[in-house]
Amino acid sequence: MFRKKSIQQVMDVLREPELANQIVHWKTIEPREAVSVPLPDSLHPNIQSALLKRGISSLYIHQLSAYEAALRGESFVAVTPTASGKTLCYNLPVLQEVANNPEARALYLFPTKALAQDQKSEMNELIDEMGLDIKSYTYDGDTPANIRQVVRKAGNIVMTNPDMLHAAVLPHHTKWVSLFENLKYVVVDELHTYRGVFGSHVANVIRRLKRICNFYGSDPIFICTSATIANPKELAEQLTGNPMTLINNNGAPAGRKHFLFYNPPVVNKPLNVRRSATLEARNLAKLFLENHIQTIVFARSRVRVEILLTYLQELVKKEFGTKSIQGYRGGYLPKQRRAIEKGLRNGDILGVVSTNALELGVDIGQLHACILTGYPGSIASAWQQAGRAGRRQDESVVIMVASSSPLDQYVIQNPDYFFERSPESARMNPDNLIILVDHLKCASYELPFQEKEKFGDQEIEDVLEFLVDEQVLHKRGKHFYWMNDSFPAHNISLRSASQENVVIIDQSNVADVKVIGEMDRFSSMTLLHEEGIYLHQGTQYQVEKLDYEEKKAFVREVDVDYFTDANLAVSLNVLEVDKETSHEQNAKAYGDVMVVAKATIFKKIKFETHDNIGSGPIHLPEEELHTSATWLTFENNELSDEKLEAGLLGIAHVLRHVAPLFVMCDANDLHVVPQVKAVHNQQPTIFIYDRYPGGIGLSEKVYGSWDTVLDQALAMIQKCPCESGCPSCTGTLEEGNNSKNLAIKLIFQIKGATEHVD
Amino acid sequence: MSIKNKLNRLKKHMVNPVFDPPVESKRNLEDSTGERIQHADYWEKFGASAYFFEDDYCIVRKVKYSIDTQWGRYQFSDVLNAVSNWQDVDADHPLHAKNLDAADLLFFDTETTGLSGGAGNTIFMLGMSQIKGDHVLVHQFFLPGPGSEVALYHYFLNHVKELRNLVTYNGKSFDWPQVKTRHTLIRDFVPSLPEFGHFDLLHGARRLWKDTLPAVKLSVVEKEMLGVNRIHDTPGYLAPMLYFQYCNEGDPTLLEGVFQHNEWDVLSLITLYTHMSGIVTGNGFRTERETYESARWFEALNQKEHAMALYQEVLQTGTSLTSQSKKSLAALYKKSDGLEVSVRYWLELLDENDLDEEPAIELSKYYEHIQKDYEKALYFAVMAYSRWKEKKRLTKRKEEQEKQAFARRIERLEQRVIQYS
Repeated sequence: MFRKKSIQQVMDVLREPELANQIVHWKTIEPREAVSVPLPDSLHPNIQSALLKRGISSLYIHQLSAYEAALRGESFVAVTPTASGKTLCYNLPVLQEVANNPEARALYLFPTKALAQDQKSEMNELIDEMGLDIKSYTYDGDTPANIRQVVRKAGNIVMTNPDMLHAAVLPHHTKWVSLFENLKYVVVDELHTYRGVFGSHVANVIRRLKRICNFYGSDPIFICTSATIANPKELAEQLTGNPMTLINNNGAPAGRKHFLFYNPPVVNKPLNVRRSATLEARNLAKLFLENHIQTIVFARSRVRVEILLTYLQELVKKEFGTKSIQGYRGGYLPKQRRAIEKGLRNGDILGVVSTNALELGVDIGQLHACILTGYPGSIASAWQQAGRAGRRQDESVVIMVASSSPLDQYVIQNPDYFFERSPESARMNPDNLIILVDHLKCASYELPFQEKEKFGDQEIEDVLEFLVDEQVLHKRGKHFYWMNDSFPAHNISLRSASQENVVIIDQSNVADVKVIGEMDRFSSMTLLHEEGIYLHQGTQYQVEKLDYEEKKAFVREVDVDYFTDANLAVSLNVLEVDKETSHEQNAKAYGDVMVVAKATIFKKIKFETHDNIGSGPIHLPEEELHTSATWLTFENNELSDEKLEAGLLGIAHVLRHVAPLFVMCDANDLHVVPQVKAVHNQQPTIFIYDRYPGGIGLSEKVYGSWDTVLDQALAMIQKCPCESGCPSCTGTLEEGNNSKNLAIKLIFQIKGATEHVD
Repeated sequence: MSIKNKLNRLKKHMVNPVFDPPVESKRNLEDSTGERIQHADYWEKFGASAYFFEDDYCIVRKVKYSIDTQWGRYQFSDVLNAVSNWQDVDADHPLHAKNLDAADLLFFDTETTGLSGGAGNTIFMLGMSQIKGDHVLVHQFFLPGPGSEVALYHYFLNHVKELRNLVTYNGKSFDWPQVKTRHTLIRDFVPSLPEFGHFDLLHGARRLWKDTLPAVKLSVVEKEMLGVNRIHDTPGYLAPMLYFQYCNEGDPTLLEGVFQHNEWDVLSLITLYTHMSGIVTGNGFRTERETYESARWFEALNQKEHAMALYQEVLQTGTSLTSQSKKSLAALYKKSDGLEVSVRYWLELLDENDLDEEPAIELSKYYEHIQKDYEKALYFAVMAYSRWKEKKRLTKRKEEQEKQAFARRIERLEQRVIQYS
């Protein structure tokens, strides 16, 4: 009979030549011993005994540091890798406070509802063992009305999410008097998720929170915990507006971890095309799954998740049934997600295919193997995903499978870049004007502003005067009063610019039409267009009708051997130039632009071979985005329009990967658009813009460093072993154009330097 | 006939406020430094005065009506009878003015800058009416600008100490929580809120008329049930906009309509309370539906005797709601040791209506558990099942459950019949 292999034996398989040839880097991270200290004497005796009952007789050193910082009254951020006991970093000081002062209140913020639910169960177990009357509740959209009143009046610990705080707590602060009067701690878990637009919004929500606390006479201490990022202290200070103590003396043990870089074999030499990362990831996952090793596979997009899921369910269908492999991503309904999380913990589910939704600290227990389909786009993200394997003390293995994209190839060929460099900084811009104005409205609704009052550290008199002119506020004496019959928080979503989601309705069974998921509007343009194949839990659906106005997509189950991939056409208008520098050869600028995006056509791509087997048009209205951008313009006298376009596309293809690397952000946060004739100056121009309305400071950073960015792009193209451009550098073009040479030529032309290559 | 004559004839059905000279003879429109407040002339003409507190003030307006004034189908004085009639009712009821005088009731309504209950929604007018001897006094407190709330609530809470008997329309979930919210924001500067009790007429209006009226908004109830016809009323939803405009343009005449609307609202509450009390206590005309709904109301309050008396009244005088009343009566008798009466009603119901299976189920239970007559029980169970099968049901799952319940009952009874024969 076929014997199951242990994880060590599976690793021996990986060392066999066939696979070992593709493994370009094998890094073993040695286990780390725990650094423990005894429980501090000052800790309340009931907490001590509760901890002892749970088998905790000592603390890790970072937990003690956290406890001591809180007792000194310092706000702090604790950097905690997965499974290092981060919850005690905040639960200890909070419980200590509440145990000594039953009136004290603490507010916990988790980025998602699910995380709050997890934490509540854990907290309540601890409280039960303490034997004290401490009340801890979650407060979210699911909390029944009759419980809400109890939570508001009597909850010592209230666990919620920023969205709820924004729309349900702060605007009704008069119903939460006892919370705000006695608020001692605000806990912000998963700090690293508060970046970009979401982070900028939440920073403003916290400014509002602090304003209200001040009104009721409290001044809470902020406790943040974060995964490893480059700037936890800076981020925490930006988010909370408080000076922060950094705690990063992690004392938790870790098991041995093998981190493998896997580069799929080249299948087309001249084009330097490698085998699909998706297919390779499938094969590797199979190796683990058929040996009963719980495995998580990460994919970069929802579509990839569904494709991988289809493949893997097919593989294990006979032995375990398709239920043992599950997908997990944003579009699933909460109930589905809870069931999957549970299945993972109790072992019913052997494998899971996920987008980055599982990067967050949802407790899914311990997995032995983790496969990353493609580089996730940032070092921090890659480590987060890798942390899913071997959360506790065991030996574990992580395999990162590179795709043909320039970024993946760069990372996989330069392991030092990945292992030696510090992870990215998380950026936000709380003073983004659009976001700031939104929250000033909410803040005015909550409490009138006074002349000279600041919002966080921001002078806001001008904005308030603007809102008076807009007849949203009314100035009387020294105060600005809310003078509008609307409820501002309801029109402001913290998560995205277009808050309205498209619901996906399955009408396969006429008698039982049901909603199977939802998707944001921007994604729906390319994923839910008519005739598109939408994959959900591994089942294929064809979109029959997309009612864009009513935000409904009607789908029907189908069984076809292809998936669809849509193109998005983008046009750019310069609205205002804030900064400009020009040289003989080129001009660089930074300012506000309006981006108009429109889905144009889609292609049908066959499974397995990934052949293009057909296409069709997409009829959807344009979506507009106002944001900040930087652009580089140059004169072209040498190249024909056709060659110019080819060269520009090639450069843009590389920049898409280099620019995010340089400013340390996710590849999706920055977009690169080349234009042969830009609308505003009729000259060849390369635009790089922030994906979020109003911008969050990424393109501004590129503006100051165009030369460096171009040099990096040039180096990347020149280093690529291909002959005339390949998906790993300048992309592939129609026959006849050597995009690689054209791109190199063009970069030299832009830089104004002599060309060294023919 | 000229329009004028027509109007004169219809005058009785219209609202004609009697503008008595304002009560406070000495009107105070100057602050401590002798400076006259903004729009002082206008407020003076409008019969309003200012109340000063520290550096700020609020506007106070009083209007008197004679107690004999006709307001829709009632005179204000009718509320005296309504309240005294309650004293003879020995039952708990949310409208019950136990041991109260009509003068104790405070008819209360607010005007706000928005409909959502949050910290940014300001009350800019508190209005109330009260019986004062031979007249009705309307008392309005107005916020001359945002930020003067301390003065407003200081006056309100010092002049209206007793809030135990507030009569409102939807005040339980809107007006009063809103007052609490505003109070919380300035609680350090004003007296604390007194205990309050509450008659919320919306609740009763829903019970009595939700099947009769297209909506149970006060404006609809007032027109359809009370015969109050407002002429040139400023609809409530315009109030926020008008207040904003007043704040921006500083023209107090914009608010005349809002003052009037609020005044009419608190006056109609008197009539509405009178009318609803009459229906529930049985003093005054009530329709069959109103009697039936009053009975249900008492039943919901677990006041069985009152409920039964009212159901009986429907049985004797009604036409369209008799079966429902009989069913309710049967159920009430069953609960209060009158099972024989229940049985009689169920049998009658079976004859009167051949679609309803419930009486048959009840009879089946009765013969099975009380009389132990399994054959009769089986007979009614089968009858109930065949009636049930005729009906269309909305949900599949419920249908399946009910079907199984029938099957179980019939099977059980069949066995009993065999067992005992």
